[in-house]
Amino acid sequence: MALIESGDLAAVISLVPMASYGEESLAKNLTDPSWTALRAMRHEQVVEHFAKQISVVPLRFGTIYLEAAGVEDMLGENNQRLVEIVERLRFREEWGVNVYSDRTVLMSTIISVSPRLKELSERAAKASPGESYLLQKKIDTLKSDEARVEVNRAISELEAILQAESVDARRLRVLKVESTEHGELKAKFAFLIERSRFQQFQAAAEKMATDLKVSGLSLELTGPWPAYNFAGD
Amino acid sequence: MSSPFDQITIDGESNFEESDISLLETLDHVLNRGLVIAGEITISVADIDLIFIGLNVLVSSVEKANEVLRERQRSHLTSESGT
Repeated sequence: MALIESGDLAAVISLVPMASYGEESLAKNLTDPSWTALRAMRHEQVVEHFAKQISVVPLRFGTIYLEAAGVEDMLGENNQRLVEIVERLRFREEWGVNVYSDRTVLMSTIISVSPRLKELSERAAKASPGESYLLQKKIDTLKSDEARVEVNRAISELEAILQAESVDARRLRVLKVESTEHGELKAKFAFLIERSRFQQFQAAAEKMATDLKVSGLSLELTGPWPAYNFAGD
Repeated sequence: MSSPFDQITIDGESNFEESDISLLETLDHVLNRGLVIAGEITISVADIDLIFIGLNVLVSSVEKANEVLRERQRSHLTSESGT
């Protein structure tokens, strides 16, 4: 590993063999998950090592320069932009919040969670047997829709509350159709947090986790990450 | 697999409990995000998406990668203690 310096910036680089990292071989190697995972993890460990001590702009795995001079030119050409990012990220960390939905739990609580179903169910309780039957059927057909409404409502509420506790926030794409022990992944967020404010953020996230439990939603907090999602412009 | 960074799982009951950082979560960050600076060879955004989807689909392969990582760490330790 080595440093290439240009002005007040330095790039952390390592030399890699062209045989594996040349344009064609890289594209081919990247299709092998074991090959990619191992090297991407190594990349991450290096970024984390530096991110713990100084403000860094995390680059993605797979940015290859054919010559050291290319890196120096890049630092020079992008100096202003990179310095701005370094300053913006100083004393800040990225935290990820993943939202999982357990549908079985939500379907069992939706009548008390959804104001609309709650109202219908109260009416059904007081109604004549015939009317009660019809109301009950209506409730059953609405349950699915209301569950979706509740998940979206809860996610919006979570986003608004945690956004207020952070410097910046991003809603990320959910690429994976992932079912885990927590349920199905419904949303992913990245938050940029002032290190000194993390406890407040954590407290707000914990409160939301408690509040959303009744809706079958659980939260996963991951981090601190190098600010991958906030390194762009 | 050990990461210097902690991952914390919250559930309403036990609040924060630490768990192992998932490999996919890390790959999600490293491969899918981060600043792209046009290097002489840079993986294009589209390619990364494909790779990442591939990684997600091939969970068993990722499990294998985990094993590789563990083996790597072990053999690394072995070679270190051997010298």
